[in-house]
Amino acid sequence: MTTRNLRRQPTGRAVRLARTIAATTGVLMLTAAAGCAGSSLDTTANDTPSGDTITVGLILPKTGPYQSLGEDMAEAWDLYLELHGGKLGGHTIVTKTADEGTDEATARKSALKLLDQDHATVLVGSASAVPSAVIAPLAAARHVPFIGTGGRPSDKVMPDVSYVWHTSWQSRETGAAIAPYLAKTIKGSVYAIGPAYTGGYDQLGGFTDAFVKAGGKLANPEGGNAPGGNAFAETPFPGTKDYKPYLNKVRASGAKAVYTFYAGADAIQFVKDYRDAGLSDVPLYAAGFLTEGDALESEGANADGIFTVLNYSPTISNQANAELVQDFQKKFNKTPTLYNVTAWDAAQVLDLAIAKASATPAGSPSSAPATGPSSAGASLAASSPASAGPTANGSGSASATTSAGSVPPVTGQAINTAIAGLGQINSPRDTFRLDPASHAPIQPFYLRKVQSDGRSRSNAVIATLIPAN
Amino acid sequence: MGSTSATVAVTGLGGLAYGLLLFVVAAGLKLILGVMKVMNLAHGASYLAGTWLAYLFADGTLTGLALALAAGLAAATVGGAGLAALLRPLAGHTEQAVVTLGLGGIIAWLFSRISGGSSLTVPRPGLLDGHLSFAGHGYPIYHLAFIAVAALIAVAMHQVLHRSMAGIALRAAIDDPPIAATLGLSATRIRIAAITVGTALAVGAGVLGAPVLGPAPGVDATVLTLSLIVVILGGAGTNIRALLIAALVVGMVNYVGAVVAPGLASFSLFLVVIAVLVVRRQGLRTAVAA
Repeated sequence: MTTRNLRRQPTGRAVRLARTIAATTGVLMLTAAAGCAGSSLDTTANDTPSGDTITVGLILPKTGPYQSLGEDMAEAWDLYLELHGGKLGGHTIVTKTADEGTDEATARKSALKLLDQDHATVLVGSASAVPSAVIAPLAAARHVPFIGTGGRPSDKVMPDVSYVWHTSWQSRETGAAIAPYLAKTIKGSVYAIGPAYTGGYDQLGGFTDAFVKAGGKLANPEGGNAPGGNAFAETPFPGTKDYKPYLNKVRASGAKAVYTFYAGADAIQFVKDYRDAGLSDVPLYAAGFLTEGDALESEGANADGIFTVLNYSPTISNQANAELVQDFQKKFNKTPTLYNVTAWDAAQVLDLAIAKASATPAGSPSSAPATGPSSAGASLAASSPASAGPTANGSGSASATTSAGSVPPVTGQAINTAIAGLGQINSPRDTFRLDPASHAPIQPFYLRKVQSDGRSRSNAVIATLIPAN
Repeated sequence: MGSTSATVAVTGLGGLAYGLLLFVVAAGLKLILGVMKVMNLAHGASYLAGTWLAYLFADGTLTGLALALAAGLAAATVGGAGLAALLRPLAGHTEQAVVTLGLGGIIAWLFSRISGGSSLTVPRPGLLDGHLSFAGHGYPIYHLAFIAVAALIAVAMHQVLHRSMAGIALRAAIDDPPIAATLGLSATRIRIAAITVGTALAVGAGVLGAPVLGPAPGVDATVLTLSLIVVILGGAGTNIRALLIAALVVGMVNYVGAVVAPGLASFSLFLVVIAVLVVRRQGLRTAVAA
């Protein structure tokens, strides 16, 4: 090997390397330029925690398929604070946000940032069950209550709920709420179909179990063959881009109705394919996520006439809902969605609980004076639900305001104890209370129908399936 | 009660439409691969860009669709030339493939940024909206029109490749680049033409196919994966017919498979791919041995 060769080789390689670097840099610069579009929701209030400020960590999907649900939650949280002078239970709230992502690693990183860096006293949020299961134990280890606003993991995945509360729902509840109604009203069999993943198994399983128990007959072949005789027709998840092949089997089954659960992008596709498959004469029933929020907007006229079951509808008639609908119309020019309401109620639960915790001397979680939301809740329940709106919380907040500066800090533990004693909560969905064992809402469910008034579409309540308690 | 044969027949139509869509995309991928020897991993993103254009221009008329198609072809020309220029300084095919992977990722990310991560519905032109019904089953009219147009594209492609001077030059450049060069065929011009036309096929399929497989997060990856499978199943050489058969097999397995064997739906395609590749390998060996 000659020196000339030795010299030439690196030169050639260097040129090629330089070219590679140039091309790579170009790509990276594009990425960076595009990345600048990102923004942060964080409020820029002072970071130093003092007696009268409480830091709340808001953990929401800012990326991935549930991004729009995260936006719904954030706007309701911000609106509640705006309408209540930035305070919950008399304390100024500093909101720090983080992305729950779609995987466990992102959720863990974000939860630890909120807990250990921002020193959040309470965590609020999450749309999906996967991040929730990661956040819960991290929060519990620091005695920080976590108010979940979306999908709730099963007990197997999240056994310890001592510091977990949900203002949303339990996955098996939705289908179970409508099952007896369909068993009674549909003269014939019902075809159950849904996505093959944990959410689908919970949602559809909740339906088929209760439906068969109530004497209903399933039309899908899986309904008879599977062990237990109550399975549903599964579609691959994720990745099903066309539901027509699966829907083509509905006609041959002789079903008199279809029950399903899909959410987000899958919901839009399913509704379109249902029409294209020529099934318009077979009534479609579904868990409310099929026609909720952005999905309904994209589905348009294809969604007209679909029946769904959910724990909220903007047409529920009570004072709290009337005010919420009005506030949303004024502020965002739209009607509220379920995810707006779960976040709104999380703020409301904290408003009541912080007021109660502030009024109760630390360490003695006994009954609070007049401001105690347990007594407030009882009085709300006694009066008609229509008579009391979110203003009821305003009174709670106001009376808890002792002079700033001399207020002792409210601990997460005290807030957690206070939540347990809240009793009935006056919500836009109608009154609900948090179950002392499951820490999830005991709440009403509604049968809704997609209706258009010419200008816009909404999920109008046509019956109450499970009345408010 | 409808019959099971009607169910399979209607589902088969769906498989036909999907197969033809994949054929058009895969033909573009194959063209770029043949001339540039590069797996263009941004090809799925080109399809996504086409569906996005269809969404932007869609106004329920055929004119809107035509405008979207014109914009798509213009974008493909600019994008194809840009891609050719970007890949030129890179020596290795692996490096070039990695750059296309990055580009595809950026396009998909930009799309999810703009759409807010939700899936968009592209309205069909009013003339082609609605569905036909037979034996209690429905099938969208637009999809039938798409089948006709995609079949025309397949025939045209076959004619151009085998009957025109440009097609002969292209085949020469793919099959034997040095000899093609000695015949005075400009390698650079053929490269740019191939990447532009290849990209135009993906973008065009996206524009026309948007009501069939619309703009949504992940659609770029789906289209890329399936068209890679079509190209591999289609085998070596410039054989349009083999590519078409491969695309139809993939389409049918995806659709009819979901009805006939729903339990296998998630992976039935890969069972078929493995079977075809193994059988073909055995066939080659037998042929060599004989």
